Amino acid sequence: MLLVVTYSRAARQTLRNACEAHQETVVRRFGRAALFEETEFGAFLALRLRAEYGVDVQVERTAPLNEFEAVPDGVRAAAQSYADREHASTPYAKFASGDDHPDPAVMKDREL
Amino acid sequence: MRVAYAGTVREGRVVDARESGLSRADAVGAIRGEPTAIAVEAPDPGPAHEWLGDIHPEMCVSVRQGLTAAARSRGRTATQDDRIAETESALAELTVPEVSTRTARVDVAERTNEVDHLDERVAELRGRVRALRARNVETDEAEAELAAAMRDLTEAETELIAARERHDAATEAARAARDARERRMELEDRLANLRRAARDDLTDETADEYRDAVEAAPWPTPTDPFEAGAVTVALAAARVADLQAPVVLSVDRFADPTTAADWIDAEVFRL
Repeated sequence: MLLVVTYSRAARQTLRNACEAHQETVVRRFGRAALFEETEFGAFLALRLRAEYGVDVQVERTAPLNEFEAVPDGVRAAAQSYADREHASTPYAKFASGDDHPDPAVMKDREL
Repeated sequence: MRVAYAGTVREGRVVDARESGLSRADAVGAIRGEPTAIAVEAPDPGPAHEWLGDIHPEMCVSVRQGLTAAARSRGRTATQDDRIAETESALAELTVPEVSTRTARVDVAERTNEVDHLDERVAELRGRVRALRARNVETDEAEAELAAAMRDLTEAETELIAARERHDAATEAARAARDARERRMELEDRLANLRRAARDDLTDETADEYRDAVEAAPWPTPTDPFEAGAVTVALAAARVADLQAPVVLSVDRFADPTTAADWIDAEVFRL
């Protein structure tokens, strides 16, 4: 999908208008951002916003994340265990230090 | 009301059972029609009983909750009621499909691994055949293995393509299901806002009577009635309310249970 984020009031308003007018191309709307279908028309809508508002419009191409393909086992297991943790208030860094889970700083340095 | 427990029968507008050792939970449950150690015959409690029917020192009730319950008990309606009902039925009718792409994600990952593994195996066998040929050694066996590995690879690649297609379809279905989830969230937000607005309106409508009730209290109360503690809030709201079912009372704010019943203007089951 194409993620379009606006950074000015004018760009946001034009994005809203575009979303109203072309609902079939809009997958989801979030305030000043929207996800467009990854079609030529989706790209057209995104690019016309960018053409009009320049850097006030950010366009990203998104893809579903398949954690079983792209994320190491240890990170997946850590996420699952942390979600199931006993005490909701335990921060991850503390949670990880007690167990065999990856350190947050280490994970931050590793690209997927 | 008529109260029966352990061979004792008590009747009247006020039942003082402080010496009985009966539990509050049993008394409240019995009034609300649950089977407990006590049998209570009394008018059915309305929704206000949930907030104002069990007044005890540890209770929790806000002025807004108490006064909304009181206003409702007197048949007051809020202008939002129709829209609340509409929104509730829209929510009840909404079906939110459970769509998980997890199985498809796992499948794609496993088949990708399989293809990578077979790819390496084919490369390895090719290398071996080449090395054997260079040494002019018999290659039949190695070539047969290579052919088998290549067949496996082709098959695995076909399966991977199929798995990716299933994954795409599942992702598409999940996306459609999110439309329903988004709709549900909108409706839930709307319902919460409407209910809040209704509570505000009903509270405003009964605020003056509530103020008078707190002022009329025979126990010390704060200057600002909206700063009062939960027991004062509940008692004052109960006085504003029109309660049919008996109020289970377990606080010492009145000289005696009869005074309490007169003040609240409801039947009182004192425990």
